Amino acid sequence: MKMEEMSLSGLDNSKLEAIAQEIYADLVEDSCLGFCFEVHRAVKCGYFFLDDTDPDSMKDFEIVDQPGLDIFGQVFNQWKSKECVCPNCSRSIAASRFAPHLEKCLGMGRNSSRIANRRIANSNNMNKSESDQEDNDDINDNDWSYGSEKKGELSNSDPFKYSNSTGISYETLGPEELRSLLTTQCGVISEHTKKMCTRSLRCPQHTDEQRRTVRIYLLGPSAVLPEVESSLDNDSFDMTDSQALISRLQWDGSSDLSPSDSGSSKTSTNSSESRKTKKKKSHLSLVGTASGLGSNKKKKPKPPAPPTPSIYDDIN
Amino acid sequence: MCKDYVYDKDIEQIAKEEQGEALKLQASTSTEVSQQQCSVPGLGEKYPTWETTKPELELLGHNPRRRRIASSFTIGLRGLINLGNTCFMNCIVQALTHTPILRDFFLSDRHRCEMPSPELCLVCEMSSLFRELYSGNPSPHVPYKLLHLVWIHARHLAGYRQQDAHEFLIAALDVLHRHCKGDDVGKVASNPNHCNCIIDQIFTGGLQSDVTCQACHGVSTTIDPCWDISLDLPGSCTSFWPMSPGRESSVNGESHIPGITTLTDCLRRFTRPEHLGSSAKIKCGSCQSYQESTKQLTMKKLPVVACFHFKRFEHSAKQRRKITTYISFPLELDMTPFMASSKETRMNGQLQLPTNSGNNENKYSLFAVVNHQGTLESGHYTSFIRHHRDQWFKCDDAVITKASIKDVLDSEGYLLFYHKQVLEHESEKTKAKPR
Repeated sequence: MKMEEMSLSGLDNSKLEAIAQEIYADLVEDSCLGFCFEVHRAVKCGYFFLDDTDPDSMKDFEIVDQPGLDIFGQVFNQWKSKECVCPNCSRSIAASRFAPHLEKCLGMGRNSSRIANRRIANSNNMNKSESDQEDNDDINDNDWSYGSEKKGELSNSDPFKYSNSTGISYETLGPEELRSLLTTQCGVISEHTKKMCTRSLRCPQHTDEQRRTVRIYLLGPSAVLPEVESSLDNDSFDMTDSQALISRLQWDGSSDLSPSDSGSSKTSTNSSESRKTKKKKSHLSLVGTASGLGSNKKKKPKPPAPPTPSIYDDIN
Repeated sequence: MCKDYVYDKDIEQIAKEEQGEALKLQASTSTEVSQQQCSVPGLGEKYPTWETTKPELELLGHNPRRRRIASSFTIGLRGLINLGNTCFMNCIVQALTHTPILRDFFLSDRHRCEMPSPELCLVCEMSSLFRELYSGNPSPHVPYKLLHLVWIHARHLAGYRQQDAHEFLIAALDVLHRHCKGDDVGKVASNPNHCNCIIDQIFTGGLQSDVTCQACHGVSTTIDPCWDISLDLPGSCTSFWPMSPGRESSVNGESHIPGITTLTDCLRRFTRPEHLGSSAKIKCGSCQSYQESTKQLTMKKLPVVACFHFKRFEHSAKQRRKITTYISFPLELDMTPFMASSKETRMNGQLQLPTNSGNNENKYSLFAVVNHQGTLESGHYTSFIRHHRDQWFKCDDAVITKASIKDVLDSEGYLLFYHKQVLEHESEKTKAKPR
């Protein structure tokens, strides 16, 4: 089209018409051309028909709209048998029961701690497990570990495996109780849980220095760290006190072995010596649960009859 | 010579490189230079169309079966197994996986994990969830990994019991937002105003709160980031429903039947100026004394996806109950009257009607509805989701069925998800309509 200076008023209608048509045709051509080039390019490069859906797919993925069926043509409520693998314990669980399982598995439910503690109490009543390597504090802090429940089961089968232990809260105990407690147990207060260590006076976790410090802290400057042997002396024990004490214990099978004693390589010679000392402890612990004194909410006091300690006498 | 047009790979490559150079040149001379190159308007193949390469062509030729998201196809729809009172989670998952912009992000594999341990990354799990739900597999998916991860990262939600879908949504968005930045523990005090993760880009809006001193009429303004808008309902004990004289009959295309409250009514109430009363005097900066004041909430910045939450569960000192009042909500919503910029016309108590629909910036379309049936103590969550334009589906845990628009609009409504119709890039004013 020529770019001329033209006076439009001087033209008649037909000429104007022709010019308008030409402009229109140009515009249409321009807009079509871009599109044509796109299609031409697509065909030439081979991807024009590429994303068309094949008839098989069209049949397979068609939406179904009939009463009683879902969009896939499936009947409702047929998914009872779906299963999944728990990421925590790697067990295969029915999908519809996964949430309650996971709650217990992670130790988060209302009942979880009660069940776990009961299991621990049961398992430790029945075995003479040796000192555990585990750090007291870790078990208390580690919410996500399935370990606390697992170990309960394990210790039933293998008495030389470590057992669980929890600590005592020293705030709830009176001075007399504390004194008696500290004559038999390590007693070092954990920074994490603020509880006292319930292991023996020779517990590997803490040093004698720590034990002395805690005694001075709790009992006053005159407090003395007792020798290990004296703890075996029955006379020095005040039975009623210790009963009250132990009723507050959540666990009762405290170890009284040094690090060298524990471990799977333990020979029977060593164990027999330690059994002697252990016997007393177990004795107390069983009696302790019988008394049911104190504010031990978590444990259901099951009073075994007094003859029960004789079981341990037999073993020794 | 056949005079046909020819496409030569090498020449095209040269052309592309030259164009790139030209683009950079223009960027350096432009006055609007910003950190990113893509802020340059005008020429440029900044967002080129994707074309297949030769090996890709062959591969596609050998595999002729196609799966596409299209109407009357089930691709993109899949049931979710209830793991034990987890219907609240399933509904939120359905809503999120059918959020168009989020879907586009995850299906184009845009997530790059920065977490120290990727198996604990919730965003990676979301990515996997999208793949599962868009796989075309008719058997329902078991979202056990998702549950596990949410319980680990949002401890307050852990536990086997029925929970609130809204609470779950907020917690999930929070964890996703943290994990987008590789933050495992929530230590980073992330400022949502400066965050650039996909969650913030999509869900974060700005809620403006203006407190006007009645004595000196000075206004103190704060803008808080928000992920949702929680609306009080009539009949709740905190309710206050002003009957303004000239109420417009239909603002957003909602059928206005007298007696039926609409979403727009709730929003009007939410954004009205509220007298704080003599018992709640605030310290005015200019008066330097405690004065009575009025407070008004408006939207300063609209999010791409707006989530509205009806406060149906009442936990007051007097009672705990569920408010089951039906609230009518529209398919299309215009948020212009509730913006901070529309405040002037609100002063007179009038609602500014969008006179012409030329301004599409604040228009939203409904794409997901989460409903709760039952009582406060025991109930069941289901959801309606929109898939491919105007098809709606009801998602009841493992069962997906087709639903009509009427079913959706007649439902009670607890959480409503609206998607902006027109998306704007930050700097480039190209408008793209989401499909």
